[in-house]
Amino acid sequence: MNTRLLMTMQVELAARQTIGMVPHGTRVTAPIASGHFEGPRLRGRVLPGGGDWTLLRADGVLELDLRVTLETDDGALIHMSSFGLRHGPSEVIAALARGENVDPAMYYFRTAPRFETSHTKYAFLNRLLAVSSGDRRAAGPIYSIDEIL
Amino acid sequence: MTRSCEPRRSVLKVAALATLANCRPLPHAVPAASVATRRTAMHSRPLMTLRLATAPTQNLGAGPHGTRLTFPIIGGSFEGDRLRGKVLPGGDDWVIKRSDGVLELDLRITLETADGVLIHMTFEGIRDDAAPAAPYFRTLSRFETADARYSFLNRLLAIGTGQISPDGPVHVLDEIV
Repeated sequence: MNTRLLMTMQVELAARQTIGMVPHGTRVTAPIASGHFEGPRLRGRVLPGGGDWTLLRADGVLELDLRVTLETDDGALIHMSSFGLRHGPSEVIAALARGENVDPAMYYFRTAPRFETSHTKYAFLNRLLAVSSGDRRAAGPIYSIDEIL
Repeated sequence: MTRSCEPRRSVLKVAALATLANCRPLPHAVPAASVATRRTAMHSRPLMTLRLATAPTQNLGAGPHGTRLTFPIIGGSFEGDRLRGKVLPGGDDWVIKRSDGVLELDLRITLETADGVLIHMTFEGIRDDAAPAAPYFRTLSRFETADARYSFLNRLLAIGTGQISPDGPVHVLDEIV
């Protein structure tokens, strides 16, 4: 399998909303306050208003369900959604929870973004699958997003 | 993405990081001024090859999202280093053919391993034959199982490369490590 870098995206989170224990686990919603993305074929900002709807499962795996709107520097809007998983050794997850920076190689943080846009320049995004590797920071995650070739 | 030369479990062990570093250097968590450069390395390793047997396609016609086609799954097999077995009949791939010609796949099947464990498997996918010389047929799989021997499947994402063989669809799945 081959991939190539599509973009790197960094988002800043607003105050988390802890919904709490729900039938499938512990639900926490992290609204997106802002962000930016940059890659060889697209760059721009992440609009406020999206969020990551997370669910901590009973087996310790955090399920991620992100939806954001990207605005390219030439004005195109792109709907992006991704499903992801994050888990790792308990001491690493505890360090992340304390807001510490941890080498992202120490834990599993992978997502699979999908894109939708009506802008012909970016229509290639409608026709690809991608995978991303995340680096969880206190202010918000940084994603390295690869197109699956 | 390159295939990992170390099992993922080793990645999660601090002690193994030095070994991994010899395999492929990983960036450290150091803030950078720009986000244009890759921050984290990604690797994959083979998970299994999935062969599906399908019944005749059900063409439901044009719906709100495109042309809806259902591919009933009547059987199949899967084989990899860590799991092998058969695909139970009863699953389906619920497909939408979009107005831009791309097929969106939405599969749900049950796998039964050779040692009797049932695994719930789903994938979403894209099949784009717009460029016949370079068809794009990729899937993203997820798994659910209650058996501890296969619980590693609950914790991974997998990317598949599909093709249509004379005997039915064949998907080569790689675990994203």
